[in-house]
Amino acid sequence: MSKRNLTYTNPEPCSHLAEYKQNHSSRGYNSLQPSLKTNPNGRTTIKTSQSQIPRCGSCSADEGRLYFCLICSSIHCPDHAILHSQVGHAIAVDVDRAELFCCVCNDQVYDPDFDNAVMHKQMKLKKNPQNGKLETPDKKRRRKVAILERETEATEGVSCFPWGLRGLNNLGSTCFMNSVLQAMLHTPPLRNYFLNDRHNREICQRRRRIGRRRGPPEMSCLACDVDAVFLAAFSGDRTPYSPARFLHSWWQHAANLASYEQQDAHEFFISMLDRIHEKEQSTLQPKVVGGDCHCVAHRVFSGVLRSDVTCTVCGFTSTTYDPCVDISLDLDPRNIASTLTGCLDLFTRPEKLGPDQKLHCEHCGLRQDSLKQMSIKRLPSVLCFHVKRFEHSSARRTSKKVDQYLQFPFSLDMTPYLSSSVIRNRFGNRIFAFEGDDACKAPSEFEVFAVVTHTGKLESGHYVTYVRLRNEWYKCDDAWVTRVSEAAVRASQGYLMYYVQKMLYCRGGEEMNCMATSPRHCCL
Amino acid sequence: MSNDDNSSPHSQISSHVFENLLDSLVVDVASECHRIIRLGLDRGLEEEDEELRLSAQARTRVADPINSGETNGRHVVDIFGQTHPAIANEIFDCMNCGRSIMAGRFAPHLEKCMGKGRKARPKSTRSSSTQNRHSRSSPASIHASYSSRTTNGTVDEYANGSFEDS
Repeated sequence: MSKRNLTYTNPEPCSHLAEYKQNHSSRGYNSLQPSLKTNPNGRTTIKTSQSQIPRCGSCSADEGRLYFCLICSSIHCPDHAILHSQVGHAIAVDVDRAELFCCVCNDQVYDPDFDNAVMHKQMKLKKNPQNGKLETPDKKRRRKVAILERETEATEGVSCFPWGLRGLNNLGSTCFMNSVLQAMLHTPPLRNYFLNDRHNREICQRRRRIGRRRGPPEMSCLACDVDAVFLAAFSGDRTPYSPARFLHSWWQHAANLASYEQQDAHEFFISMLDRIHEKEQSTLQPKVVGGDCHCVAHRVFSGVLRSDVTCTVCGFTSTTYDPCVDISLDLDPRNIASTLTGCLDLFTRPEKLGPDQKLHCEHCGLRQDSLKQMSIKRLPSVLCFHVKRFEHSSARRTSKKVDQYLQFPFSLDMTPYLSSSVIRNRFGNRIFAFEGDDACKAPSEFEVFAVVTHTGKLESGHYVTYVRLRNEWYKCDDAWVTRVSEAAVRASQGYLMYYVQKMLYCRGGEEMNCMATSPRHCCL
Repeated sequence: MSNDDNSSPHSQISSHVFENLLDSLVVDVASECHRIIRLGLDRGLEEEDEELRLSAQARTRVADPINSGETNGRHVVDIFGQTHPAIANEIFDCMNCGRSIMAGRFAPHLEKCMGKGRKARPKSTRSSSTQNRHSRSSPASIHASYSSRTTNGTVDEYANGSFEDS
């Protein structure tokens, strides 16, 4: 994988900048620091005088671009800056933007030392509480999954059909359940977990029998029933399987969802993860307070979202972290951003909180207008995107479905949505090592492997799942499994999209056609 | 630049101010983009464009995927060479009451068998009570609360409430 993705390309300085650095190193930058002013939006400008606006030293122009000479601190308009450069003062700083400018090359130039000086000034003023409580190392977890992947790289046997491909009978409006089950069956880390017998049913049953002293009737463990479904799907038997026992078990656990009617697949997915988490948690070693949950559901799907609320008056930012097992995306009502990446852009865009949502700023001591911005602190192994296609209006007691097409990529780079990228962008993309900058360690390339679609109307619709195995796409429509073209999947109306970290996808025994979209992608 | 003698000094000044503001905004965008490109932060654009192109191409090839093909596939043979009836006809025993049920009708059966919305009991209840519904709540009944969550995956306690007949 290209390392270039993870760090800046340090641009070559022009000869004038190089000469300036040789003669003055960072002295000019440091002496400029007192004049650097950053507004709450993260934009830095140069303000040399409290009482006067900057003007060109030659013509007194005060409009348009102005450049502050780093050698003699004079200010010039663009025309006079060129003249000024002829006396050997080539490097200046754009007053409005705090960007280095070479007046001879007539171009913006970049120097990590300059960005460093700018950022240090910003850091000095801001009090940024970093809630690092969820910074537990997950390298160990990833290593474990990688081991599982290697173990299951065993041959798929003589069958010419992909392993684990099997239809699921519709038990009466249960396509919502079948569609999610199909996606789960082919989620690489989850599949490996169950197929490697990490959830041992005998041990689990024994534990439950022992623990059942309190009296309430023994409820099955949903993870045991999931295990049974995996076993059935990967048994080699290709006749459609009826997940009846699973349905019964799920209804026992989710009493208020136990009804014969079409349900929401996303709700079912969350419910299933919750039930697995519940049962697994009680058998796990007591977890460290505030640490990550190590149940399989969370190990596979749980990521961490970061939320920053910034006071628009003083710039003070309050940060919180929350775990999440999926990302719910609103469709763009203007229908402009009808792509998954567009929705993610909207998701991570700073949002003005309304006047009724003024937050108490610690720095100012009163309620102020604020900006809120979301970003992803830590990516999960498997990303589930939930497209909010069902709008429920509690006021009008109606619901409607939004059929808007949403383009989604097969290969997805999540780097721009990581907290490290979003925050760096907020500070003008300066070349600077930000605190908690783990862009280098976090793998952020993902591959889609399952798409759950909903067709038809809200009440009478139908769910179908497309799964990607051995780089072929298969449509799982209840009992009917057929092969479909890549185009059919691209053109489909995604409701739940499942992406797995590219490393796990490659190692999971799926032979990926690495040259498919771009020569830059390569399997390690 | 307006040299119109007829425009008032006020409108000249406001045009001037507007132009300055516009200029400044344009340079802002240029400066930001310049930085992004020079520092190599825009990699991935080519791949993104390729994905968009493939999707657009796919959409023209596949006619109206929303309404076509979704249920048509049910009359064909699947990849294993099998055909299936519209309603699954596998027969198995209900794990709640023991009766033989056809797969395609299992869910409605189980719903009644378990008592819609009730917590499961080992024996079938065959409850004909129509007052316990999971959705519309009457003030007198207590519901087992299941909190659904969207992006926030924090786990709440699963409250083991029981339904009461109201």
